[in-house]
Amino acid sequence: MGQKLLKFVSLEQEMPDKRSPEDRRHDFAEIYARFDPTAARAQASRCSQCGIPFCQVHCPLHNNIPDWLMLTAEGRLEEAYELAAATNNFPEICGRICPQDRLCEGNCVIEKGFSAVTIGSVEKYITDTAWDRGWVKPPTPPRERAQSVAIIGAGPGGLAAAEELRRKGYQIHVYDRYDRVGGLLVYGIPNFKLDKRVVARRHALLEAGGVIFHPSFEIGRDASLAEIRRGHDAVLIATGVYRPRLLQAPGIGLGNIVQALEYLTASNRRGLGDQVPAGLLDAAGKHVVVIGGGDTAMDCVRTAMRQGALSVKCLYRRDRKNMPGSQREVFHAEEEGVEFVWLAAPQGFAGTDIVETVHAHRIHLGTGDGSGRQAPQVVENSQFTLAADLVVLALGFDPEDVPGLFGEPELGLSRWGTIEADLDRLETNLDGVFAAGDIVRGASLVVWAVRDGRVAARSIARYLAARAQPAAA
Amino acid sequence: MSEIRESGEAFRRNWERNASHLEASGLYDPAEEHDACGVGLVAAIDGKPRRAVVEAAIQALKSIWHRGAVDADGKTGDGAGIHLEIPSAFFHAHVARSGVNEARDTPLGVGMVFLPRTDLDGQERCRAIVETEILGFGYAVHGWRQVPVNIDVIGEKANATRPEIEQIIVANPRAVAPEQFERDLYVLRRRIEKRVIADQIAGFYICSLSSRSIIYKGMFLAEQVTSFYPDLLDPRFVSSFAIYHQRYSTNTFPTWPLAQPFRILAHNGEINTLRGNLNWMKSHETRMAHPAFAGHLEDLKPVVQAGGSDSAALDSVFEVLARAGRPLPMVKALMVPEVWSERETMPKRLRDLYSYCNSVMEPWDGPAALAMTDGNWVLAGLDRNGLRPMRYSITADGLLIVGSETGMVKLNESQIVEKGRLGPGEMLGVNLAEGRLYHHGELTELIAGSEPFGEWVENITRLDELPIDPVPDAPEFEREALRRHQVAMGWNHEDLELILQPMAEDAKEAIGSMGDDTPLAVLSDQYRGLHHFFRQNFSQVTNPPIDSLRERRVMTLITRFGNLNNILDEDASQCQTLQLPSPILSNGEFAAICGHLHDMTVELDCSFDLAEGSLRDAIQRIQREAADAVREGRTHVVLSDRGVGPDRASAPMILAAGAVHSHLVRQQLRTFTSLSVRTAECLDVHYAAVLIGVGATCVNPYLAEAAILDRHRRGLLPGLAAAEAVANYRKAMNDGLLKIMAKMGIAVVSSYRGAYNFEAVGLSRSLVAEFFPGMTSKISGIGLQGIELRIREAHERAFAEDVIALPIGGFYRYRRGGEKHAFEAGLVHLLQEAVGRDSYATFKRYSEAVRKQPPLNLRDLLDFTDKQPAVSVDEVESITELRKRLVAPGISLGALGPEAHETLSIAMNRIGAKSDSGEGGEDPARSRPRKNGDNAASAIKQVASGRFGVTAEYLNNCRELEIKVAQGAKPGEGGQLPGFKVDALIARLRHATPGVSLVSPPPHHDIYSIEDLAQLIYDLKQINPEARVCVKLVARSGIGTVAAGVAKARADVILISGHSGGTGASPQSSIKYAGIPWEMGLAEVHQVLVLNRLRHRVKLRTDGGIKTGRDVVIAAILGAEEFGLGTASLVAMGCILVRQCHSNTCPVGICTQDQALRSKFEGTPEKVVNLFSFVAEEVREILAALGARTLNEIIGRTDLLAQVNRGWAHLDDLDLNPILAQADPGEYPRYCTLVGRNEVPDALDGRMIKDAAALFELGEKMQLTYNIRNTDRAIGTRLSSMITRKFGGEGLQPGHVTVRLRGSAGQSLGAFAVQGLKLEVFGDANDYVGKGLSGGTIVVRSMTASPLASHRNTIIGNTVLYGATAGRLFAAGQAGERFAVRNSGAEVVVEGCGSNGCEYMTGGTAVILGPIGENFGAGMTGGMAFIYDPERRFPARANPESITWQRLATAHWEGVLRALVETHAEETQSHFALELLNDWARESSHFWHVVPKEMLGRLAHPLSVAAAE
Repeated sequence: MGQKLLKFVSLEQEMPDKRSPEDRRHDFAEIYARFDPTAARAQASRCSQCGIPFCQVHCPLHNNIPDWLMLTAEGRLEEAYELAAATNNFPEICGRICPQDRLCEGNCVIEKGFSAVTIGSVEKYITDTAWDRGWVKPPTPPRERAQSVAIIGAGPGGLAAAEELRRKGYQIHVYDRYDRVGGLLVYGIPNFKLDKRVVARRHALLEAGGVIFHPSFEIGRDASLAEIRRGHDAVLIATGVYRPRLLQAPGIGLGNIVQALEYLTASNRRGLGDQVPAGLLDAAGKHVVVIGGGDTAMDCVRTAMRQGALSVKCLYRRDRKNMPGSQREVFHAEEEGVEFVWLAAPQGFAGTDIVETVHAHRIHLGTGDGSGRQAPQVVENSQFTLAADLVVLALGFDPEDVPGLFGEPELGLSRWGTIEADLDRLETNLDGVFAAGDIVRGASLVVWAVRDGRVAARSIARYLAARAQPAAA
Repeated sequence: MSEIRESGEAFRRNWERNASHLEASGLYDPAEEHDACGVGLVAAIDGKPRRAVVEAAIQALKSIWHRGAVDADGKTGDGAGIHLEIPSAFFHAHVARSGVNEARDTPLGVGMVFLPRTDLDGQERCRAIVETEILGFGYAVHGWRQVPVNIDVIGEKANATRPEIEQIIVANPRAVAPEQFERDLYVLRRRIEKRVIADQIAGFYICSLSSRSIIYKGMFLAEQVTSFYPDLLDPRFVSSFAIYHQRYSTNTFPTWPLAQPFRILAHNGEINTLRGNLNWMKSHETRMAHPAFAGHLEDLKPVVQAGGSDSAALDSVFEVLARAGRPLPMVKALMVPEVWSERETMPKRLRDLYSYCNSVMEPWDGPAALAMTDGNWVLAGLDRNGLRPMRYSITADGLLIVGSETGMVKLNESQIVEKGRLGPGEMLGVNLAEGRLYHHGELTELIAGSEPFGEWVENITRLDELPIDPVPDAPEFEREALRRHQVAMGWNHEDLELILQPMAEDAKEAIGSMGDDTPLAVLSDQYRGLHHFFRQNFSQVTNPPIDSLRERRVMTLITRFGNLNNILDEDASQCQTLQLPSPILSNGEFAAICGHLHDMTVELDCSFDLAEGSLRDAIQRIQREAADAVREGRTHVVLSDRGVGPDRASAPMILAAGAVHSHLVRQQLRTFTSLSVRTAECLDVHYAAVLIGVGATCVNPYLAEAAILDRHRRGLLPGLAAAEAVANYRKAMNDGLLKIMAKMGIAVVSSYRGAYNFEAVGLSRSLVAEFFPGMTSKISGIGLQGIELRIREAHERAFAEDVIALPIGGFYRYRRGGEKHAFEAGLVHLLQEAVGRDSYATFKRYSEAVRKQPPLNLRDLLDFTDKQPAVSVDEVESITELRKRLVAPGISLGALGPEAHETLSIAMNRIGAKSDSGEGGEDPARSRPRKNGDNAASAIKQVASGRFGVTAEYLNNCRELEIKVAQGAKPGEGGQLPGFKVDALIARLRHATPGVSLVSPPPHHDIYSIEDLAQLIYDLKQINPEARVCVKLVARSGIGTVAAGVAKARADVILISGHSGGTGASPQSSIKYAGIPWEMGLAEVHQVLVLNRLRHRVKLRTDGGIKTGRDVVIAAILGAEEFGLGTASLVAMGCILVRQCHSNTCPVGICTQDQALRSKFEGTPEKVVNLFSFVAEEVREILAALGARTLNEIIGRTDLLAQVNRGWAHLDDLDLNPILAQADPGEYPRYCTLVGRNEVPDALDGRMIKDAAALFELGEKMQLTYNIRNTDRAIGTRLSSMITRKFGGEGLQPGHVTVRLRGSAGQSLGAFAVQGLKLEVFGDANDYVGKGLSGGTIVVRSMTASPLASHRNTIIGNTVLYGATAGRLFAAGQAGERFAVRNSGAEVVVEGCGSNGCEYMTGGTAVILGPIGENFGAGMTGGMAFIYDPERRFPARANPESITWQRLATAHWEGVLRALVETHAEETQSHFALELLNDWARESSHFWHVVPKEMLGRLAHPLSVAAAE
């Protein structure tokens, strides 16, 4: 079989067709086309089928990447899908939004010298094909179990756990304070990276499998955690982290300085046809400055571009090499006309009522500390200003006060305010209460949330099995 | 040579004490002792006794000392002896002297008896038993004769164990007929032996008790036979025959009874199938019956007694068959048959004969040169593969002289009328009564005509005569059921894709690369099938593996049902059998057999109810049901796991088969039935081999077939019909089974079956004793309880509710959640970071991470004790000193790219340590230092079975020569470098053609036996007078005795590789299931070497997965003083374990020849140096903590280690005490104190070099002349070394020095001879003429006075020109077997050759002017051959796989041939060659021109005129 693979020596990397920047900057449609079957097979065949698959090692879900690449290369898509789905509840979503260049593809053995296998695109191709051909089936447990689980938060972590547990036959109730299912997948991530229909069909699938959703249901308002606990045999908290990190600077209170998530949610709602207040959250005809260097910042700059901004600048205090966001996203943003202002930090904002300029200064990166990360230092007398009609702050998120919100002061927190839970079991200090995703580990990637959801599901199933036994006996 | 510190008596005491201690608690098993030797016979063809026969045999014994071993005392030999006709005049005179009046013409019975010498009471009791039994049988006793012996000539050790030697003289007062008298003496002897055993008297042994012949033997050097036994000098000692033997054993403890000859035969070689044969003999005994033994049959059982050697066992069975009345040639045909089943050239009547023989009993397989007599016949015979030499001469005055070598008896050449050799499976004998000599053909005709075997074998039903249903269209299992069954049996995605698919698709086993770094099955927390606990046995040194691909025709998988009858019978009923071509059956075939045997079949369900049953109950139930069924007359017992379902799990079928087989054997029922296994668990060939090995008759892997058909339905086997895919799978299984048998040197599956050719690693001792009796299991492990637990877990997974996909696997390649691997991603990164940044702190993090892994290796269960107070690190020997003990083990250029290969050498040379070239030659340019001072030459040069690029120059450019006998990843197997990897550089270094594939044979064709290894070591020490010689072995049980033999062969270093060793490409089943951990092998070797007082004479080195300083220190404590780091040094150079070494696509440019990929190589010598420095640094720290200042202090100090972990809780036990056992070293150090090397006796070359002073001082042309004997070995080799060093490999013109030699040249004539040297022999020569010939010229011709026709007689021995790279050989006569094997450049003319001619040849030209043996040109990928064949016999004897042939078609090639024949005629004065030239126009049309297929497009000149146009 080996000879059908290992084609990296003779075959170059090719991504699926990407729409031109000119074409894509005017709408919110996804930028990559799907692989055509021949290209998908060919690109999958470049895999080296390593003895140690570093792609898998560095994938939070430990997807069996070489194996479904092999199956794809051999045209065995249904089996490829089965394998991909065996370790990942939403392969088509991860295929779209994972920063592969920092995970699987970035660690692909042939990356150095040959360019990595296009793992993400193949994953997306496999799963989209599976949807097209009807291979994706709702979870249909062989037998129903009486025990029920409440999942708070319908984001990727909660949904992954819901599916895993439903498969085993538990009664699953998912509560979310938003009106739609998907969490950040639906309101945080722009359409051009993840079409909302992709999320919606997952919602529908879970519903078809018997998962019961309670949208617009806020714990603490509609029910306390204690009530939820009484109503279910186990509870999973997967609420994510939503409190934006604040910037202390003169002029921060001016108008048109908005938080990234507010901004992205508005844009996504508009895409979904919801009524959104006009003006404030629209970049059309504006000079936009986005502050931050993570993936959220990238989403913001690219959204602004598509809304018809006159200019979009991204201000980040480190340099390209040291930014937390995906290099690939930076590349796309630059293609689309975003200007990056590296090594710069905001000092303050000026304007009357609404923001007009951003004052910033230059940053010098010092020598690395023990971890190798270089500390930013302000360069003396390096002030400069940028014109801005809209400033988007994308500085990251912190957890909300969950014990307070949920009316459960006993819930144990870490010193960062996240829920305290061991990552292998994801149990909180409350009996039968588990937690997963960003609310445990802090703001992180979707793929980590999916992993946590799966780990939590296993942990919950063990918990429930142990409690079910005396009854059976 | 070390002085003796122990007296002989102290040695005996200490040895016995240590041996029993090690046997009780350690790894040492005396049953593993091996021996080998020189053997031969002399017979008077007229059958009349004469003194000359005895004298010739005595003379021969004096000329084979080099085939035995001598103890350090210079006197204690491993044993020698002689078997003669009873000199009746001598004994009658003795009887007369004692006052008895016995008629002169009544034959006397004489027994040669060893009595306990020091136990006088025991002696008396023995005498009483002997006399009582004789009198009880109605015979009379003429008293005991004390045999005169001269104890001055034997060594102290031999004397310490010497028995009292006496003869008992038995009279035949009732004048019973001679045949009956002889048979009674046999029964008598057996009765006496049993009584002595029953009385528990040690030290009693009857060498012979016969009215015809007598055996004198003992633990002296062969040449001392007459000094020790002055009887033999008595002129009344006359005989019509003499059989003689010189032994070489793998221990140093002189055991008198193991000296040969035995009662019937003397044997040189080794019986590979011994364990199977012994087990089957036990079954045969049930039905054994013969009128001649009426009333005494129970006295004869067990036929084979415990405690004997393989040769002794062989002798016992020969004896019972011969005494039952079968003529000796028939017994030989029965027990050591020729190849027949795959041999179409054999006449039908002979095939019928052997077909009959194979229906009676399973052959005893393995290298065997036999010299034997039953009193009527005197017979010499060879094994089916012809793996031992047997040369003979017939003199004008009627003597037949046969022996391991020619020239052992000095004869007048003008008096010799015939000189020949025995071919594979052949016999040669004299019927003493008839006074007639029989050649092989005459003998087989004689016995084939003795019964209507052709009619008898028509009773055999063959499988293809039965109706077999086609492959069904409808699936037997729905997809989901299939998956659940697969999961329940422990299958996963990897198994299906990596293992099953290639078998179904290409009919080939999967290939993998690098070593096995997963945990031993017993340490794993994953489900591992029972087959994972069985490690395949393999042969090394004491016997050769077989090449199952190129020598397929000597092997057979033919399997019979109903063939276990009375072996002493000879009638048609023995052929009422069902015969299958292979024991691996498709579903259709299996159904057909069950249909055919309908009423006789019983299928036993091996599953048990999970709620109510247990594994033990299930096993006991099927044992009982099987026994009951057999008692009811069912002859076809089938074990099946088809009962598996949601509520039922099955016993592992290996366990079921072993349990039923052993139970039936114990109940004496096995002989009445076959035992078939239908199993879902069997996926790969290893599983099937284990089933057969534990006693199954045949195997039906039905789930594998279902899986293949499922894949076929899903279109995964495009272009194949379903039946083809199934057939492919079966072929892969058959080929794999052949390969596994071949690894052990076993050719016949019936001798492999039930032979437990495995050892268990991690199976409970009590479980093994109960179900796999006789199999080795040294450290115990999982038992029934643990197995049941694992089965229940696997079953739970399979039938739990949420199964969606098969588990992914991870056994062959790392997968998260699958099996652990020693090198995982984090460790690779850490190590690379440490060596890249020169950070010892990072290395320590790496080392700690290694330590924190769950246990993978046995050493992970051990930890250091704090017996001694720590010392300061400053007091410990330096890093520089410690680094010198580290080695970069042999990885060939070819596997590695040149950059990586040179980087390793440079790094190791910089730190004064050693790198190993691996197989495949090395560019001589690398031996010149680079401008920056770097030396890129490997300090160790490997000599492997392919001998690629092994020239005199290569061998002189190093500090050490390593003979790679086996390789951890594939012990017992050869290899193949595919053509696409053979680029210009590799082709140049290996003397091959670019793009043409190169084959490495499984065995070294000059090492079939331990004395052969001694000879190769001798040759290497001649060609390089300074280099040490290392022998690389792979760990397995019994390696200790092999290593002792190797030490006695004067090796300086012994390398013990663990099973985890790497490879560029090997079958996955070999990487995974052969060999054992070095911890076990090393410990055993160390223990046995200390026991035998050999440890201080030889260095021990080990490798296989060593990664840290801790690993090194543990290895030292277990006995090693040098350590190899293979994979770790690759990782240091950038290897990330992609494990695609066999694909030439290494993305980091290490293991590839592709220029583009090689440019990615980022390894540097500095990184490698850092790795070795870090390891040494860590060793130093641990030594300090252990309170040791030098590494030597801790070698063998197992008291510094303790077992701290006994594995998982569900194991019966996991006991590492065997590897921690110590032998008391006495006064001797536990490490090697050798300075320089173990020198070998000087050769004739010592004199030649002195006589050639003018050459070396003045460069003058010279001619030297000497008389030689067969004891003059490796003539010209040291001279070649001197020439290479002084003038370079090609520094002299051909013929600059001519050496003329008269007589019989010893082995290895002209080995590695270089250009400028010409050796002219007048006489003949033995094996290995021109081994590794490197440009020299050798001419061998008869003395002018010889009347022999050159082309009809043998003049040179076996394995001529093995690995020759250049030069010429002209021999006026025939050569033996394996002529020009692996020749890559020499030109040669001979006048005939034996089997396997030109095998694996890759260059040069061979002209053969006479008949050839079978299997010519197998695996020949280069060079060409011209065969003179007027009778057109060639096509039937050629192996057409890789060669083509045609008659001469162009003037160019005719010219090439004619020029060689002319030179031959000129050099040898061959009358035959002159005649050919005289009639050239006619004779040239009788030549075949043989060209390898791969060469067809690459020849400089077209083969035919048509092709030219």
